Amino acid sequence: MPDASDGASDGAAPVALSGPERSVLVALRDAPQPPVEEEELARQSGIAIDQLRGSLQRLRAKHLVVVEEEPESLRRLTPRGQDALAHGLPERRFLAALERHGGTLAPDAAAAEGLNDEERSAAVGILRRRGYLEDGVPFRLRESRPSEALLPDEVVLKQVANGEEEVDEAIVAALERRGLVRTERRSIKRWAPSEEGRRLPLAASEADWLGALTPAILGSGVWKDRPFRPYDVRAPVPFLTGARPNAYVAWLEQFEEILVGLGFEEAEGPLLETEFWNDDVLFMPQDHPARSIHDALSLEGIEGHLPAEDLVARVAAVHEGRPLPGEDTPIGPGWGGPYDLKVAARPVLRSQTTAVSARFLARRPKPPFRMFSLDRNFRREEVDASHGVEFTQCEGVLGEEGTTLRHLVGMFRSLTEAIGVRELKIRPSYFPFTEPSIEGYVRHPRLGWIEVFPGGIFRPELTRALNVEVPVAAWGIGIGRLALVALGRNDFRELFDDDLARLEGRGA
Amino acid sequence: MPKSVLRRERVLSLLPEPLSDRALEELLSISKADLESHDPETLTISVTPDRLDLLSEGGLGLYLQGATGAAKGLVRERVADEVPAALSVEADGSVRPIRPSIAAVLVTAPDGSVLDAGLLEEAVRFQELLHATVGRGRRAASLGIYPYDRLVPPFRYALEPVANVRFVPLDGSEEVGAPQFFREHPLAQRYGAFGRVGDACLTLRDAQGTILSLPPLLNSRTGGEARVGDRRLLLESTGVRDRTVREMLGSLLVVFLSRGWHVAPVARTSDGTVVADGRDVFLPRRLDLLSEALRSLAGTSYTAAEVERRLARCRFGAHPHPGGWTVEASPWRPDLLTGVDVAEDVILAEAVDPRDGIVPPSRTRGRRRPEARFRQQVATELLGLGLAAPYTSLLVPSDAVARIRGASPIRIANPPSSEFAYVRDRLLLSHLELLAHNTRHGYPQAVGEVGPVVARAPEHETGGETRYHAGVVIARETAGFADAASIVDYLLRSVDIVAVREPADLPGTIAGRAARVRVAGEPVAELGEVHPEVLTGIGVPVPVAWAELDLSRLYPLLGRRDTD
Repeated sequence: MPDASDGASDGAAPVALSGPERSVLVALRDAPQPPVEEEELARQSGIAIDQLRGSLQRLRAKHLVVVEEEPESLRRLTPRGQDALAHGLPERRFLAALERHGGTLAPDAAAAEGLNDEERSAAVGILRRRGYLEDGVPFRLRESRPSEALLPDEVVLKQVANGEEEVDEAIVAALERRGLVRTERRSIKRWAPSEEGRRLPLAASEADWLGALTPAILGSGVWKDRPFRPYDVRAPVPFLTGARPNAYVAWLEQFEEILVGLGFEEAEGPLLETEFWNDDVLFMPQDHPARSIHDALSLEGIEGHLPAEDLVARVAAVHEGRPLPGEDTPIGPGWGGPYDLKVAARPVLRSQTTAVSARFLARRPKPPFRMFSLDRNFRREEVDASHGVEFTQCEGVLGEEGTTLRHLVGMFRSLTEAIGVRELKIRPSYFPFTEPSIEGYVRHPRLGWIEVFPGGIFRPELTRALNVEVPVAAWGIGIGRLALVALGRNDFRELFDDDLARLEGRGA
Repeated sequence: MPKSVLRRERVLSLLPEPLSDRALEELLSISKADLESHDPETLTISVTPDRLDLLSEGGLGLYLQGATGAAKGLVRERVADEVPAALSVEADGSVRPIRPSIAAVLVTAPDGSVLDAGLLEEAVRFQELLHATVGRGRRAASLGIYPYDRLVPPFRYALEPVANVRFVPLDGSEEVGAPQFFREHPLAQRYGAFGRVGDACLTLRDAQGTILSLPPLLNSRTGGEARVGDRRLLLESTGVRDRTVREMLGSLLVVFLSRGWHVAPVARTSDGTVVADGRDVFLPRRLDLLSEALRSLAGTSYTAAEVERRLARCRFGAHPHPGGWTVEASPWRPDLLTGVDVAEDVILAEAVDPRDGIVPPSRTRGRRRPEARFRQQVATELLGLGLAAPYTSLLVPSDAVARIRGASPIRIANPPSSEFAYVRDRLLLSHLELLAHNTRHGYPQAVGEVGPVVARAPEHETGGETRYHAGVVIARETAGFADAASIVDYLLRSVDIVAVREPADLPGTIAGRAARVRVAGEPVAELGEVHPEVLTGIGVPVPVAWAELDLSRLYPLLGRRDTD
């Protein structure tokens, strides 16, 4: 026989009842016409009223009983009022004294009749208002006084003493002010079992309860004869944490799908690049400040190599302002100095995804083509709300006969609208590898206008060195900044938030 | 972005009418200059690196003249009526190995005018800006401004024994020997290497042997100090390339020519022979702007009149020819290399309205890379396992590397701080950092991420290989090897791969409780229990199981039948 009553832990909190609670709940469930007043319930169950009240409150806390409360007012005579009822109100006693003295009474004689000053003063005032007394002293009964046997206050005093409810409220209020009547307010509680209280199985004893359902209980069939210990379904349970997609990563993937929908093919490139791909192919002069140790992150103990010789020769030619191999006329004046192959082979952490565009174009894609690459880049920046050492760019190129700056602007507008950003403005900008160069700004509610859409048309020095014959619009979106706008974040560093509580969506 | 504080009054003095702050902001919002802040006295301006001319009061004034219509077209140089016959600068052959290039011009104040304090201040400030930018911190080129009327041409630029050189530094009052100067002066300590080779240093002297300066360091006070009241100034640049030297000098000219100063060429001679008449420094450069090229870049067909109006606004001279225009540009526009650069000025001369953009119809089919899709799938599996999904940086702190004995990630040679000192070669480095940052949250903690790492790869073109890993760490009282192994098994099973675990010694793990996983002989995953020494180092009080799959290695194996 399995030990079915040990309540094998399954993590839930059982509903536990004390003996009196159980008795009260049984009495309530057995009551012929619930709800039942406490006094009635005490009478029916034979439980002392104070104990019954305590049990009812605890059952109520366990959601097993419910209570209806009805407010009630009850008027009673005060001890003074009871004295007045027995011996007469001061005004009745004063009236009787007057009659005993022939209708006239000196002030000092009133004291001799057992009325103190307060009583005499009240009695005189009331009798004058009721028309029994003349003004002035000594006190004299009026000839034409009312003939009623009882004064109105005496009538009401008797009514209150008799528990009558239909009384002159104004006189009651006056009697309350005189301290003769008191109104008590209380609520009448009527109790009934709640739905849970009705359904709660009540075993004969603690030992009869079944705890957690175990294979042994299941197999033995003991569950057919004995009740399961109920659980307090409102009790706290263990705090579960769940996984949820990283908001930034999810947003990046959403953005990638937008680009796929616009006909863009994804490309990837290495995070560790040579300066050849990171800068030279992009027609950035080899002594450009952005290539200095103050801006690019260089690496220890790593050696890079140059790509195919013919490509290197073409790039070297545009840098030095020479004609491309096999041509007579240079594309432009170049940068006015010798092209350094050692510089070209230096490895750096990629500082712009435009390097991925360069690698893509070097594969000589067949026009029309559209390519995107959303990836990480690295610059030696001061970290602040809108800058980081590591940042993500979304690179894109669009190559087709007839591609112009207006197509680039149109693409910025499309992307802005696709992510639900309304305001876009365009300003002139500068990048060594595009001409014209522009920058699209969107408005961040806190950071103001922030630049997110840098782009332009690739210079001939770049496209022709790579044997690309069609104009190529290109951009390198500051996707992290755009995410700040789209996700309603205020600080670039929030995108790299590694606080597990926040990542799991349970606050910090 | 290069930035400078300009004197508002000097900028606006070049305009015929006052300009409100709002109008100024609007005009600059369509330029390559940005008004960062302003007060009644100053304007703080930043510019894109190609338009340094806008960081001088003269250059910005010329732009505003064009933008407001106060003046149009090219700023024509006024060549001085009289050019002294002996006006030349001789570059001695001795300078060729270290700083071979020199160029100079003579500028003369217009009649009735002299060098005033404002112009001198503007010139010196702009000179320093050019040193820092085009001059690459004086390494590529530097500038000098000298009082021509107190000097005697021709000028000679040579390399002399340091011991023979004595001069009064511009910021001093007594003559010092060059050895002392190189030893003690802050500018010499900073830039001395650019003007000295061994026991010799560069000097610029006039015909009487007066030292003008020690290029590229400092002028002499006696022969090289331009002062308020001077009428003629010699402007000179020395450097490592002729083109950079001309760019520096041409850029500085904007300060003087915008105020109506006259210019005269200074011939360059070598071994007594004139090698250049010096006019190339200030004569307008000519570039060809083709109508068709302009149309194909802009996507708009401008009328000839519209193009010429825009060229004039941008302060270019324009001469039409059958296919377009020959455009003349001032010497302070070295950013203009070819016709496309001029086309940009024309296209962006007026505001670009986003509504003018054309959304090109797509004639291509978009797609994600299959490997990227695979990574996304693995990330989804990790989420399904209930692992929190961080987005951690590729760069890790030096502390993170130091605590894992045997780890050898690539070190950054010029890290911005110790927080970004290494390129991770495994996600574990980032994930242990994450656990260290989250000790206050209690346990269990479980994290899974797909992200890049970079491994050394000498055979690769870049010397390294970017790979994508799926990394997992589980921190809880009962965490152990089996947790890590079961996750690796699960992930491999999800792509129909069965792998073999083999014992391995892995950095940061407990010996005997770490393994490498191979598929068809290829190592595709590593896992183990993190060593207590590491855990106590980061303050994690519970065991941590770790697993890391190399998705870049795994992806090519997908679908192969021989992986069992």
